[in-house]
Amino acid sequence: MALKQRNTAQANVMHTVQWLTLFCVILLGTVPLILAILRLWSVTQVSPLEALRHFPEQIGAMDALRFTLIEALLSTLLTVVLGLPVAWSLGRYQWRGIRSKRALFYLPFVTPPIVAAAGFLALISPGGLFSSFGLDLRGETGFIGWLAETTGWQHPGHMIALVLAHAWFNLSLMIRFVEPVIAQLNPAWEEQLMMLPKGQSASGRIRHLWLPVLGPSVAVAATYAFFFSFTSFALVKWLTPDFNTLESLLADLGGSAGIYNYRVDTSLGVLAIAGLQALLMLTILAGAGFLERKHTMTISIHEEHTNRKKRGTPPLKSRFIVYLLLLASMLPFVSVVVASFRTRATSQNGHTEFHWTLEGWQRAWTGDASTLTLLEALQNSLVYAALTLVIALPIGYILASMFHRLENNGKKRLASLLDTLCMIPLSASAVMVGLGVLLGLLRWYPELFMYRYLPVLPHVMLVLPFLVRMLRPAFSRIEPAFEEQVRLLNLPPLQSWWHSKGASMMAPLTMAASLCLAFSLGEFGATYLLIRVGSWDSLSIMVDQLLGRPKFDPLIMPTAMAVAASLMLTTLFVLWLSEQLRMKQGDAND
Amino acid sequence: MKDRIFSLILLLLFAPLSGCLEPVTNTNDGCTVLETSTSNSSTVRILTYDITAFSQSMLDEFTNSTGYEVELILADDAGGILEQMLQTQGTPQSDLAVGLDNTYLQTALDFCLLQPHSTVAPSLDPSAMEPYSGTYALPFDQGDVCLNVDEHGLNETERTLPEDLWELTGPEWNGKTSFPSPVTSSPGRAFMIATIDYFEHDENETTNAFDWWNAMAENDARFTSGWTEAYEIHYSGGYGEWIDGHIGDSLLTVSYCHSPGVEAYYSGNSTHSTSITLERSTFHQVEYAALTNGATNVNGANAFLDFLLSEEVNRNMPENNLMLSVLENPTFPDTDGYSWHTDTPTMNANVSMERIAQDMETWLSQWQTATQ
Repeated sequence: MALKQRNTAQANVMHTVQWLTLFCVILLGTVPLILAILRLWSVTQVSPLEALRHFPEQIGAMDALRFTLIEALLSTLLTVVLGLPVAWSLGRYQWRGIRSKRALFYLPFVTPPIVAAAGFLALISPGGLFSSFGLDLRGETGFIGWLAETTGWQHPGHMIALVLAHAWFNLSLMIRFVEPVIAQLNPAWEEQLMMLPKGQSASGRIRHLWLPVLGPSVAVAATYAFFFSFTSFALVKWLTPDFNTLESLLADLGGSAGIYNYRVDTSLGVLAIAGLQALLMLTILAGAGFLERKHTMTISIHEEHTNRKKRGTPPLKSRFIVYLLLLASMLPFVSVVVASFRTRATSQNGHTEFHWTLEGWQRAWTGDASTLTLLEALQNSLVYAALTLVIALPIGYILASMFHRLENNGKKRLASLLDTLCMIPLSASAVMVGLGVLLGLLRWYPELFMYRYLPVLPHVMLVLPFLVRMLRPAFSRIEPAFEEQVRLLNLPPLQSWWHSKGASMMAPLTMAASLCLAFSLGEFGATYLLIRVGSWDSLSIMVDQLLGRPKFDPLIMPTAMAVAASLMLTTLFVLWLSEQLRMKQGDAND
Repeated sequence: MKDRIFSLILLLLFAPLSGCLEPVTNTNDGCTVLETSTSNSSTVRILTYDITAFSQSMLDEFTNSTGYEVELILADDAGGILEQMLQTQGTPQSDLAVGLDNTYLQTALDFCLLQPHSTVAPSLDPSAMEPYSGTYALPFDQGDVCLNVDEHGLNETERTLPEDLWELTGPEWNGKTSFPSPVTSSPGRAFMIATIDYFEHDENETTNAFDWWNAMAENDARFTSGWTEAYEIHYSGGYGEWIDGHIGDSLLTVSYCHSPGVEAYYSGNSTHSTSITLERSTFHQVEYAALTNGATNVNGANAFLDFLLSEEVNRNMPENNLMLSVLENPTFPDTDGYSWHTDTPTMNANVSMERIAQDMETWLSQWQTATQ
């Protein structure tokens, strides 16, 4: 009886902590947005709903909407076309160093878009890899020029470059969602189907097995790919200079929004465009959440390790696909590293030529005019990342366990609703979040802006939805009966937690920790809005500052690339380290 | 209980909308100078864009000589500085704003965002004092915004330098021009102002600047969000050709009359870019440093103004900030053709700051309609 009472009391405390955490997360995520909306409403005297009606009248808004939808759709299609064979190949066979391969495929997703843009620009520029194959995506001569002329398609090369960049960026989503399903599917299903008339042909197996099994996970990955194609402001800005997405249009307008008696038209534009974008993105996220729940029900079918062992080493075709795309994924990074050593100089006869030098790295190391040194920026980035980890991981754990508990108690709709509320910061435009923070929190507590660790707050808010998504399936894999048995042992709370959940959660928690660190290292948009003092700059901010400067000085570009390369290498090291830790845990568990 | 929770939520939501500074009675030109609670800070907070003139060694020198530490708060450009000041009006985040130019300064004055300084300025170049000579702002650098053109490109395609802006609307310039948008770019804004003056003084009284902009849009001119995109990606005459992502599809863009000089300075006296200095098609841009209304460290901000206008800092503006000094008799250096490749405008556009502030919103709206 006493044991039951103690367990009930502990559960009550835990539930209170969960609800309080959730309340704080939702409050922190929504208050800046509400403040921004109130301010814009007050400035324009137009309600948010009425502003939506004014959307088509905003200059460039309809073009931006059209372009956003087209590029997102094409990007999603290419992500699926490229990602499915990789996920299939990785999931079916026993690969040596599969975790390192996954880490490399995940790297683009946590790379700051501005670094990715620099890498892609190097690839598509004259003299870059694409032009050496006769594809001039930038200058749009040759085949691309012919394509533009004969079809009337404006700047097809720029669109292709953007779609390629988005597919590169989102490839990890396919691996993240689809690979586990392939790896965990009981091989007996396929074997049994092959004995039936409907499973004799490959098309029959696709129709009757793979489509229903993989469909939901592919749809989840595709939905997220579509979602993230909305928010890649830096890629759009640099790769498609003649087009705007909703996000890049907002970035253009955002600066002058929310000011009484000053450029009120831009306030109305921001209210209308951000409103429509938020609606679209929330719908996509809700759709992704729905599909994800279907996907979660489908997976966890059979032990992955046994399946892989049974299927053996990958055939040549699978090796070719994985290694080719791995190589392609690394190309933008290689371009950035190469560009960090390339310095332009003028020869004595007045011709410009390039030399291979360490000058860019030297300037990054010593600090450029008005930028920090590389080590100082690295230190800032690592401090932000460590704090994000320390704060976000426990919160993510608490929220994931809460949503899991609600689902188990039959409150699936409530869990889904609360989960969507936690995702609001992801669906909102950075402009709106920044505006809310600037106009609201700043007036309420200006000293907050002199607090150097403020950027950690948006890092935590933005990484949380991903953490919850990573940890929830792990909770559902824990056998409830096991927890009941541990409870009967009457262990102290911490030991009880460890034996019932902790030990099983270590691997997903390590993975989530690496995501936290990598995400924070690469985060740009929110950090940019909140870093008020130059000495707090992170590596991603430093790259942006250098790339945004007039580059009359030949050392600016290699310096920016040296900082970008350092950021990439740091992120890769973090991902690699976490994979090593996971491997050790896996060994220990074995 | 429910009422209390509701009240708390309302408080959280609406408290930020209230101000936290108390006005005091010092007034000038209808503005009230705000007084803040802290005033003995040893740190000067400077709101500026990514100004390369402020190297760490320069800031260290300032700290060593005055004892004040410097915190830089960075905005995108001059427009970004003004917008951030407007958004944080009443709770200013800086003591000093460095980088507002004469297309934005009047708006800052009209919105009472600044307060008078107490710096005794050295002798300044009269052209730097021309747009504004009051006590609310001091110029710290200057330059002339004008059209830049690729000389090689012109020769190769047998085009000639335009002698009239209308020439740019002809078929030979179709798709060959790029302009930074005046909505989002400071040089773009300066050039748009120049076109207003230019077309107000040309012989044709039936057309105005926005007719020209409309004709340019119909002639497939490109409009970019910033100077960087226009100059670095599209312009074929600048350093962009050596930068990844260069397209080089424009022979003409907007930059400064001294941009070819800067190109030469960094390329061993070699450039194929030049500027077009048609009468009234150029705009004299002056950048200012000014104390923020509500600054917490007024003494420190004044000390920085002194430092910024000192001979050793300001004379080096051409090398450090790629702009001309505002001290008396300023010159661009002769090194590597910097001054040789810099053109002097024949007659800059003459539009007062007051008119710019008054008409800018209408102009921007007309520009957007014309180029849509």
